[in-house]
Amino acid sequence: MTFRQFAYRNVVRNSRVYGAFFMASFFSVAVFFIYSMLMFHPDIESGILGEVSMIGMIGAEIVLVLFTLFFLYYSMSAFLEARSREFGILLHLGMDKRQMNKLVFLETMIIGAASIIVGIIFGFSFSKFFFMIVREILHLEELPLYVSWEPFVLTIGVFTSAFVVITFTSVYLRRERKLLDLMKGSNYLHSVISYSKIRAIYGIALIISTYVLVLLVSYTSMIGLTLLIPFSATFGTYYFFSDSVPFFLDLARGKRKYHWQRYRLLSLAEQTNIMQENVKVFFVVTMVSTMAFLSVGVLATMSSYTTQYERLNPLGLIYKGDIDNPYESEHINLLMEQLEEKGLSYHLTRFVVIKQTSSFTHNEVEVFRESDMNTLLSSFGYPMLKLSAGEAVFIPYSEESLKKLKNTVVHTVLEENEIPLTIDSVYPEIVFPGSIVSVNSIVISDEDFAKLKKPIADADIVQPSYKLFTFDIPQWMETKEIGKEIDHLAVDEYFIKKENRSPFYFENAGLNYSYILATYSLFTLVGVLVATVFLLAAGSFIYFKLHTSLEHEKRKFDVLKRMGLTDIELKKLVNRHLFPQFFLPWGVAMMHSAFAFFMVQSILKDIANISIVKEVFFAFGFFVIIQVVYFYLIRWRYISHIRT
Amino acid sequence: MPILQIKDITKVYEGKVTHRALNQLSFDVEDGEFIAVMGRSGSGKTTLLNIISTIDEPTSGEIILDGMNPHKLNATELAYFRRRQLGFIFQDFNLLHMLTVEENIILPLTLDQQPLEVMEERLKSIVEKLDLTSFLHKRPNEISGGQAQRTAIGRALIHNPSLILADEPTGNLDSNSARDVLELLTKVSNERKTTIVMVTHDPIAASYCDRVLFIKDGEFFNEIYKDDRRQLFFQRILNVLSLLGGGQVGDLSTIRLP
Repeated sequence: MTFRQFAYRNVVRNSRVYGAFFMASFFSVAVFFIYSMLMFHPDIESGILGEVSMIGMIGAEIVLVLFTLFFLYYSMSAFLEARSREFGILLHLGMDKRQMNKLVFLETMIIGAASIIVGIIFGFSFSKFFFMIVREILHLEELPLYVSWEPFVLTIGVFTSAFVVITFTSVYLRRERKLLDLMKGSNYLHSVISYSKIRAIYGIALIISTYVLVLLVSYTSMIGLTLLIPFSATFGTYYFFSDSVPFFLDLARGKRKYHWQRYRLLSLAEQTNIMQENVKVFFVVTMVSTMAFLSVGVLATMSSYTTQYERLNPLGLIYKGDIDNPYESEHINLLMEQLEEKGLSYHLTRFVVIKQTSSFTHNEVEVFRESDMNTLLSSFGYPMLKLSAGEAVFIPYSEESLKKLKNTVVHTVLEENEIPLTIDSVYPEIVFPGSIVSVNSIVISDEDFAKLKKPIADADIVQPSYKLFTFDIPQWMETKEIGKEIDHLAVDEYFIKKENRSPFYFENAGLNYSYILATYSLFTLVGVLVATVFLLAAGSFIYFKLHTSLEHEKRKFDVLKRMGLTDIELKKLVNRHLFPQFFLPWGVAMMHSAFAFFMVQSILKDIANISIVKEVFFAFGFFVIIQVVYFYLIRWRYISHIRT
Repeated sequence: MPILQIKDITKVYEGKVTHRALNQLSFDVEDGEFIAVMGRSGSGKTTLLNIISTIDEPTSGEIILDGMNPHKLNATELAYFRRRQLGFIFQDFNLLHMLTVEENIILPLTLDQQPLEVMEERLKSIVEKLDLTSFLHKRPNEISGGQAQRTAIGRALIHNPSLILADEPTGNLDSNSARDVLELLTKVSNERKTTIVMVTHDPIAASYCDRVLFIKDGEFFNEIYKDDRRQLFFQRILNVLSLLGGGQVGDLSTIRLP
């Protein structure tokens, strides 16, 4: 038997021991490969997602690789730790350190090669399925399966080097341990509880102050404080696990009346032990899960934004210009020509909007004419306005304003022309997007409008009135290419000529939507992927940790069984053993992300005016389900291990 | 009235290699008796102990403990039976490392949901008797082997079991600690009238008992009762052991009494 044969047989005949590590590697390879398949997809490369997406995807791939490296490194060390007894025997028999490193290297390479091959096969067979999901997310016509050498080469290259790197680092970074300790089996630290009360309080205080900070930011929008939050959250979480939790456990253990009851004696002691040994793991799992929650939450937000987009932007194209805008006829003709060329039906409405001062607020108010408004409303198929002299209606600029203005009645006078008005209602639909109309916009009757002779008195206002051209296009999603020249011109005016203001403003909902959709799709892809890997890793960390101490646990339960622990009690004890390991880090992560969402929500409210509460609850619910499934899965494996 | 009756116990391990660990072994243990079971490695001592502690089932035969056959109970009843009727002392102590000495001793009572007052009272009397007061709040890895075994004895005694099963209790101890532990067990057996079944290799340990039972290849071989003088009893144990070895006295390690 050569040395290589020895390594090979070691792996093949101990498949159960190596199984967990193999599964971890194999899954990472499969995820990576599927993602590479998408990245190298010819259709994607030709620009479905635009150029930003390509950079984003490469970035995500790098994040994925880094995380996989960390994850594999952790699995590998746990795996080596679990086998320390075996290594002890080999060293005892006279194997030298170099040979042992070679053995570990060979074995890892065998497992690595196997997992790369199986992972790629698995990944390839599932990539069609993945493409189908992606096609749905991105609203693509089709995303066919293809065969190309690039994803294969990339995956093989990345993972081969990853395994080499991991083997070397985990072999050389391993603590030197005495042969005798190795022979005794996996390392079980017999450390005394060590925590400091100050740090325990510090941990709790930091977390609480982070939450307070979050609330502060959301109420006073002091965005600068946002930078502090990640730091205080990180340190707070670490101290919480390293000191606060042991401190509370110790407090509980001090109370005999509470402590000396049934399995509480055992489970509390067990918890203390677990906490001591897993501070780092719990910390990492918490942070990683928080990230996963956040990325999924952001996804949910984005999807809610896209679904609300159409409602908030009912118009396809909007062209806003000064009264003496030199480009006006040129641009409007260009837009009409291009629309006809594309064969898109449209309905053009021209507005003249006059600015006046309201006596009620002494602020500027933008006044629309009833008949102009009705032309647009008829093209939308919305109910028409019927106003007589002295009557006016608010134009809503957002969902919020709709609710707010609904029950507002204002008696005002347009100061310059002394026209008395009663504004007693709001138009029930959003007609213009928030970026076009001002906060104070009203519609008045044609008679009153005709009386608006004198311009606004405020000298600061350069343009006392403006023209608005709205194109209502039913197929507004296809207007991406329309009016590109105008867009470029607007950009030039701003950045090249350094003009303070441009005589016109152009908004293309279809183009904006395509940008948003591209970003959204990118985030979805990256988010789903990263969340999958994070979730997998978070669960696997715990599993590997359990795997390492299994021998020891088995002996403990053996003693307890002899002492008369019933089967039900054993299960309960295992529950109490596993439950905190699963749900404490995740619970803390949930808390963290709940507060983070609170902040995101209040910021979003200012910017985009959308609510994400429902989406976030959905995402959290989904995570809770996954968690519970994980818990039962690992509990089942654990109990069956303990019993044998 | 014997507290423990072993009736024609046979244990066969099936598997790739069938192995008969015990073969029609029968004996009785009287109430309050301190009995040692001796035999060479592989003679079935541990199997016997496992069957008495009900974690292993005999292939045939039955045991009667305190008037009933525990192997007829279901799993839960069996667990309750073990936690109330039996105490265990192991060669490597098997203390739970995450519990303090005090908590280790009290564990059987908490499992049985005794009220706090009872627990504290029992703990106090046991701790005094076993002289454990000074390190009650230490962890098992912070105390010596002798102290650890005394803790284990405390754990085995605290719930006043009707039978204590000891598996090589002195196997991991130095001679002074071993003597302490054995004297303690004798004292417990005399004062509290606790029945102890001890499995051992060590003729010195066996010489502290009331009776020594020898088994060979899973069958009953011989038994001898205690003398007035322990020295003499030890000599007789050695004699039987030399017979047990098939007449080759050279098989035995030479041991002198301390």
